Amino acid sequence: MAPRAGVVTAADANVGIGLRQPHYAPLLETSPALGFVEVHSENFFADGGAALAVLRQARERYPVSLHGVGLGLGSAAGLDSWHLDRLALLVQRIDPVRVSDHACFARAAPAGTVVHANDLLPIAFTEASLDLMVAHVMQVQERLGRSMLVENLSSYVSFSDDAMSEPEFFAQLCRRSGCGMLLDVNNLMVNALNAGAPDPVAMCCAAVDALPAGIVGEIHVAGYCQTPTLVIDDHGGRVRPEVWSVCEHALRHFGPLPVLVEWDTDVPALDVLLDEAAHAARLHG
Amino acid sequence: MDEAERQRELLRALSGADVQGLREQGVRAARGIEAYRANAEAIAERALAAAFGTVRALVGDDDFARLARALWASHPPVRGDLGEWGEAFPEWLGAHAGLAAWPYLADCARLDLALHRNERAADAVFDPASLSLLESTDPSALHLQLMPGTALVVSAWPIVGIHHAHQLSGDAAERAFEAVRDAIADSRAESAFVVRDGWRAVVHALTPADARWTAALLDGADLASAFERAGAGFDFAAWLQTAIRHTWMKGVVASND
Repeated sequence: MAPRAGVVTAADANVGIGLRQPHYAPLLETSPALGFVEVHSENFFADGGAALAVLRQARERYPVSLHGVGLGLGSAAGLDSWHLDRLALLVQRIDPVRVSDHACFARAAPAGTVVHANDLLPIAFTEASLDLMVAHVMQVQERLGRSMLVENLSSYVSFSDDAMSEPEFFAQLCRRSGCGMLLDVNNLMVNALNAGAPDPVAMCCAAVDALPAGIVGEIHVAGYCQTPTLVIDDHGGRVRPEVWSVCEHALRHFGPLPVLVEWDTDVPALDVLLDEAAHAARLHG
Repeated sequence: MDEAERQRELLRALSGADVQGLREQGVRAARGIEAYRANAEAIAERALAAAFGTVRALVGDDDFARLARALWASHPPVRGDLGEWGEAFPEWLGAHAGLAAWPYLADCARLDLALHRNERAADAVFDPASLSLLESTDPSALHLQLMPGTALVVSAWPIVGIHHAHQLSGDAAERAFEAVRDAIADSRAESAFVVRDGWRAVVHALTPADARWTAALLDGADLASAFERAGAGFDFAAWLQTAIRHTWMKGVVASND
């Protein structure tokens, strides 16, 4: 169905959605207008099989953003060369529009052997941690032959010896390594809420304003869930109004940027996700 | 604090150890650590369930979740691709004293793992022209290549029947489980042949001769040796016809290729 005249589509506004297994068939059958689709890189590390075939078909219809969850860029134990090799092969196979991962650690040796936590564990905002991140991001970019984006985390603990703010950390990371930032405004909101901020939207907008112009290459929005004890970044519902507010602020501050709507748990019908994408597109209008 | 030690300490905290140096104190710190611990448990259950469907069906969701969490603690992932985690599960199950009531469970896990690996294996196409080598070349100089991910799981238990029964529902499942119970009571051995059908991995029960032949091929034996190992009762013409029809093989290659 053609969009109404004057309506900014998700494709026009460069809005994408996360492509998850329940949407493989409906997305390929209907090919809705989208700016891009995003996948978690590690889900396509296998040598072959159905998922990779689907991704190749999706790539014929859309730009693909490869979003990693497993490099562990801040790991003091170093990067896993196997992981980097698999990512490089996937980049070669898919020719993605963007490659990204998180400012977190995942690999460490709590009992002698290096293990992978398969989670996005928080790093300290210290000079030593920044040095590690810069070195690892540069290692990845050199291996892939392209620059990458690094995403800010939602984190449930932080460190008392942090020596700089998160925006300052990212500003230095981007300047020193040549990477860009993937700004997850839902993560800003989750952290603000868990910190008990009296005005979470204002706190998130201040964090956005503290970032240097030009470093953000993509924005993520998602839903979060409020438990009795914590706000959890579960990507399991619609984007909250206050997160849309921060997203709108970021788009005003930085200008037009690709926006991804993430929905990873309790994945709804594709139409619901497309409705969220349409909402993001209207923010550009 | 040294970043490496900070990260080791945080990982140990997910297993219950104390952690220092957090900005959050007391209950807030404990809640934060618990969020990561709960996430790790959920990831363990989800990742293992994706690969070991038959084992999950056999032991039930709750016991399977406990097994997944215990495996995560004793054999944590070393890769950032969870599809790679769980290789140790079959052997670990076999050594688990609390699972003696399911003596076939470890073999069912081996079969689940073979299916999981098959669906992640490289895609390949059959080369029909290579079959001409069968007429022109001595069998001792030829190798028959099965498709990537093809596997054989030999068991003293009816693992193919158990697997198939768990794919069914309703009356068909009832009948299948009744047959499986009889087969288990008889300690009926089965050899499971794992191949891809379209994008899905499927299982076939093999005769003893076909199992010996398949084992030889998977070991990389030349055709003459594979014929010898297959022994009496192996019908190559029938096998080849089926293998071509179901695309079990990539083709035939000469040893010096």
